[in-house]
Amino acid sequence: MASAFMQPGFGEAPGYSFSQAPTVAASGAREHSFYPYTDNGGSTLGITGQDFAILAGDTRSTSGYNINTRYAPKVFRIGSDDESGAGGHIVLAVCGFAADGEALKERLDAMVKMYRYQHGKPMSVKACAQRLATILYQKRFFPYYVHAILGGLDEEGKGALYSYDPVGSYEREQCRAAGAAASLIMPFLDNQVNFKNQFVPGSGVGHFLEAREPLPLPRKDVEELVRDAFSSAVERHIEVGDGLQMMVITKDGVEEIYHPLKRD
Amino acid sequence: MEVLLGITGKDFTILAASKAAMRGATILKSSDDKTRQLNQHTLMAYSGEAGDTVQFAEYIQANVQLYTMRNEVELSPSAISSFVRGELAKSLRSRSPYTVNLLLGGIDPITQKPHLYWLDYLASCASVPYAAHGYAQYYCLSILDKHHHPDINYEQGMKILRMCTDELKRRLPIDFKGVTVKVVTKDGINEVEYDDSKQVISA
Amino acid sequence: MDSLVAQYSRPAFHNEGYSQEEQQELSQTMPGDISLKFALPPVAQPHAWLRAQTDDHANPSCPIKLAHGTTTLAFRFQGGIIVATDSRATAGDWIASQTVKKVIEINNCLLGTMAGGAADCQYWLAYLGMQCRLHELRHKRRITVAAASKILANLVYSYKGYGLSMGTMCAGVTPQEGPALYYIDSDGTRLAGNLFCVGSGQTFAYGVLDAEYKYDLSEEDALELGRRSILAATHRDAYSGGYINLYHVKEDGWVKHGFNDTNPIFWKTKLEKGEFSNVTSELV
Repeated sequence: MASAFMQPGFGEAPGYSFSQAPTVAASGAREHSFYPYTDNGGSTLGITGQDFAILAGDTRSTSGYNINTRYAPKVFRIGSDDESGAGGHIVLAVCGFAADGEALKERLDAMVKMYRYQHGKPMSVKACAQRLATILYQKRFFPYYVHAILGGLDEEGKGALYSYDPVGSYEREQCRAAGAAASLIMPFLDNQVNFKNQFVPGSGVGHFLEAREPLPLPRKDVEELVRDAFSSAVERHIEVGDGLQMMVITKDGVEEIYHPLKRD
Repeated sequence: MEVLLGITGKDFTILAASKAAMRGATILKSSDDKTRQLNQHTLMAYSGEAGDTVQFAEYIQANVQLYTMRNEVELSPSAISSFVRGELAKSLRSRSPYTVNLLLGGIDPITQKPHLYWLDYLASCASVPYAAHGYAQYYCLSILDKHHHPDINYEQGMKILRMCTDELKRRLPIDFKGVTVKVVTKDGINEVEYDDSKQVISA
Repeated sequence: MDSLVAQYSRPAFHNEGYSQEEQQELSQTMPGDISLKFALPPVAQPHAWLRAQTDDHANPSCPIKLAHGTTTLAFRFQGGIIVATDSRATAGDWIASQTVKKVIEINNCLLGTMAGGAADCQYWLAYLGMQCRLHELRHKRRITVAAASKILANLVYSYKGYGLSMGTMCAGVTPQEGPALYYIDSDGTRLAGNLFCVGSGQTFAYGVLDAEYKYDLSEEDALELGRRSILAATHRDAYSGGYINLYHVKEDGWVKHGFNDTNPIFWKTKLEKGEFSNVTSELV
C-alpha cells in the first residue's frame, strides 16, 4: 500500500509512521519502524529593538511537495486568557514539525498560565525562557522536532529574544531566523540588524576599516526588514509563502499583523 | 601514524620523517628513512601505502636523474613538483593508483630561494612555507602558524622542528620512533644528528 | 473474556485530554524544577532510534540536527586557572550561531565548559549548579571541585548509552584544594589535570599551548597563551570560530576577560607579530 505512494513521480513523499515493513526487534516481538516526524516547512524569525520585539512566521504548511493549508499560524501568544490575547506578553514562534510545535505551545501556555494563577503575577520572559529549555530537554531522548524562538520584553522593558535548538540549548540574541529558509534569511539579518561586514566609510583602508557599530533599530525599520526577509525567501524557497504573520510585543501588549505573501 | 614535516627558512628547507616502519600492530624497523634525494638540491619525503611509497619515490628519483642525463639540465624544485604532480594525477586515474603523500623540499639552483611543496595521493599540490602530513598536521600546523617566519635562520628552524616533534611525542598515542632530519641548503643535502632520546611528558 | 469486553467497551474519549499525572505535572511550575524524568520513544531500543534521528556523523541526512563542534581549553598555573573557548555552534555544515557562551558560570567560583551537545552541557551544568548550591545549604560550606565534578561524572555515567554527548571541564578554586581542574566526558571519564583541550579543534590548541606552557607563567602571559591557543584552533578548524571567551579563576572567584571577535585579533597577530606566514594576499 505504502509503496504506491513511493513512486518516482511523488519524489519524497511524506513519511508516515508505519509506511515501512515491520522489523523484528531484539526482544523477538515484531516492531514497526517508528518514524513519528514530518517536516511541515515554513520559516520563522524574530528581531528585537529598544522597547519592542517582533516575531514573525509565514503561514504555509507543507508535507513533501504538497501544500496542506495556506493559513497555519506558527507564531503564538503564550499565557493569554482568550483569543484576543489580553494578558499575554510572551510570544512563541515554532517551526519544523507542526504537531510537535502545537504540543510545545500548549505545554508552555499551560505552564505560564499556572504560574500566573499560583503566584498572582505574570511570568517574566527570562523565567519563561528557562522553563521552555527544560520542557524541551525533558524530551531529550524523544525530541520535539522544532526550532523555537521566544520573544517578549525583559524586566527593564527592553525587547528580549531567545532561540532554541530541538533539545533545549538556548541563547538570548538580537535576531534569529529558523526553519526552512533560515539559511536564506539569517545572513541578511546579520548584515542588516547586527551590521556584520559593514564598515564606516572613509575610516581607513583594508584591515584598518572600522566596523559599523550596531544600534537598536526603530520599529518601522524592523517591520520593513521582516517583510523584505520573507518576500525574498518566498522567491527562493518552495516551503515558504502564502502569508506573513507578525506579532509585535510592546509595553501596550501584543499586536498581530497579517501581510499576504505570494501564493505560488 | 606516520609523520612528515617540512619547514622553509631564509636559505634552507628542513624535512623530517618518522623512523618507524609499521605493519599492523608491529614496528618492523625503527630506523627507516622515508626520504629520497632527487638531485643535488631537491629532497622528497613520503608516507602512505606500504610498497607504493618506495616504488613511487624511486620511480620519481630515477626519472628526474634520467631527465638531467638526457638534457644536461638540473631540474628546479618547482619543475619537479609539476612532474611529480603529473605522475600522481596519471596514477590516480589508472587501474592501481599509488597511495602516497609527499613533501618536496629544496633550493632553487638559480634564485637560491628555498621551496617546499605539499602533495597528497589525490595529486593536490601546494607551495607552502611549512607543511605536515598525517596526524602531525593536527598538532604541528598551529605551532608553525605561531612560530614560523619566512626569514628564520637554520637554528631557529631546528628549534621550531623540536617544538613540533616534542608535541608529537607528548600527544600521539603511538611511538613513531623519532624522526630523520635532512636539510637542503645551496651546498647540498645533509642529514642532521637529531636527538630523539628525551622523553616528553604532557603537563 | 471480560478483559476483552472491557478493552472494547472503553468510551471513545478515554484517551483524550490530560491524565491525572499529566495534569499534576503541568501544574508544577516551580521555577527551575529540573526533574530527572525523560520521555522515551515507544520502541524496543530507544538509543538506536535516537541515534538514527539525531546522529549526524552516522547519518548525515538525519532530520534533527543538534548543535555541535568546538574548541575549549583550560589550564592551571601559579596564578589560578585560565579557561578559554571559541563561540561557534554548528549543525552539520550550517553555522547555527557565532555567539555561544561556552563557558558556563556554575556559581561565582566554579566554571564549566561546553563541548559536544550544547543542550546537554547547558542542562547538566545548570543541574550541577543546583546540586552545588544544595550541598552548600546542607553542609554549610562550599563544595569542592572534586566533589562537584564527581556529581557530574556519576550523573552522565548513569545515562551511558543513551546518546548524551558532552566533553566538559570543571575549573574552580576552593580553600581545601586550591585551584583544581577536572575533565569529564559523556563516556564517564573523569580526570584531574593541569591542562586540557576539548573539542574538534583540541589538537591545534594543544599544539600552541604545550609548546609554551609552564606552571610559572605570569597572569598576563597565561591569558595571552589561552587566547592565542583558541585563535590557532579557529584558524585551522572549520568547526571553531566566532569570538574568544576568556576567563581567569582566582582564589576569590572567577574574572571574565572579554568576549572578543577573532577576526581583528587574527589580523592584529598576523600584521604586528608576523605570524600565520602561510596566509598570503596573492593567489599563487
